[in-house]
Amino acid sequence: MAELKQTQQRQWGMVIDLDKCTGCQACVVACQSENNIPINEEAHYNQRRAIQWIRVERYWEGEFPDIKARFMPVLCQHCDNAPCEPVCPVYATYHNTEGLNVQVYNRCVGTRFCANNCPYHARFFNFWEPAWPNSLKNQLNPDVTVRSRGIMEKCTFCVQRIARVKRKAKNEGETVNDGDRALSPACVNACPTETLFFGDFKDPNSTVAKMKDKETHGGRGYHLLEEIGTDTNVVYLKKVDKHAEAKEEVHA
Amino acid sequence: MLPGDFQPSRPTNKQLIKWGILSLVSLFFVAVVVGVLMFVISAWLGKPLSVFGYDEGPDQPIAFPHTRHVQELGLDCTFCHRNVETGAAATIPPVGLCMTCHAVAGDGLAEVEKLREVAAAGEAIDWVRVHRVPDFVRFNHSAHIIFFSEQDNILSSEVCAVCHGDVGSMVKVEQARYLKMADCVNCHRDNNAPTDCVTCHY
Repeated sequence: MAELKQTQQRQWGMVIDLDKCTGCQACVVACQSENNIPINEEAHYNQRRAIQWIRVERYWEGEFPDIKARFMPVLCQHCDNAPCEPVCPVYATYHNTEGLNVQVYNRCVGTRFCANNCPYHARFFNFWEPAWPNSLKNQLNPDVTVRSRGIMEKCTFCVQRIARVKRKAKNEGETVNDGDRALSPACVNACPTETLFFGDFKDPNSTVAKMKDKETHGGRGYHLLEEIGTDTNVVYLKKVDKHAEAKEEVHA
Repeated sequence: MLPGDFQPSRPTNKQLIKWGILSLVSLFFVAVVVGVLMFVISAWLGKPLSVFGYDEGPDQPIAFPHTRHVQELGLDCTFCHRNVETGAAATIPPVGLCMTCHAVAGDGLAEVEKLREVAAAGEAIDWVRVHRVPDFVRFNHSAHIIFFSEQDNILSSEVCAVCHGDVGSMVKVEQARYLKMADCVNCHRDNNAPTDCVTCHY
């Protein structure tokens, strides 16, 4: 993995600033519509079979009345040491040269080993043939495959957008620019508070690379479940809690 | 022969006739199954067998002659398939584009009259699709057209024939190439194009 990381040209990644997240779910809605994700009904949630490539986890901190809601958007972390990859018997999931953890739908045979091995619950199995009401059939994204029953799916960092921007840049002889809104995944573009940042960690001048550099060395940055060594490509910046800090000072 | 010795009973004439008919019927069924399988397998390989005209293209609602438009009138592919250099789909022209010429051209031709009826009713033509890749394949026309036209320094419309064959000489458009994954990947390898899965599958 280390050698691959050195030779690859790009390293797509995300920075999520939890201090800004208000838990509004705009990213979830944007993702559902961009990526042709079937409609999750209540029964699907109750069976733990709902498909959400990005979800907003909610925690409560403290006791009433001194209680705070905490939000954390969780998506596929595109791990460099991805636990899902070695367990696939048909190589339907692998790491490509741009640091993406890719799911190849037409290779997948639906063993669900990868979902069992994923510590982030970021992989979802299609237990049913996806269906949309007639009024929504024309809103499906033509650039994304409609996944049929029996295969695994997960966040792709909106690879269709990356492909579109790269193709356009190649056709017109330009370069892919950092911070291009056409390049960013749907969740990043939809976020009203700019919680999510997307870019290339390999490019030292990109916004995400700078943020990662600044924040992971003694700053607010951390990786989700860092201790299990998955070496993820999503950096979280922890919440700044002025209120709690002030309280701690008083107690001290 | 000893009494009580085993003697296989000889089939009666009635039984012989019954077995004869049964074997003929089963032979017929085997032949049908083999025949169907051959068509299914050949269709799965990309192009149907060239018997009984199965390799010909489908009948279109309006028998549009590419020969007349391309060979005799010298129209460029991109004149009608306008999106081919800029988008994923090459696009079939809207009826309105046909009518820019056919409002006046082609009087008295049965197929042109059909077109005018459709245009007058404000409807679209239900063309039968000839080329189709599976839903999990994302093919983009513009990338291929631009690559080949720049590499070989040729016109965009000369690139089309790489995959579609010489459509200009086809009376009925038919699929010229297998367009299976091996076909795509071989061409990608030959031209140093990416062979990463996510190039086409996402």
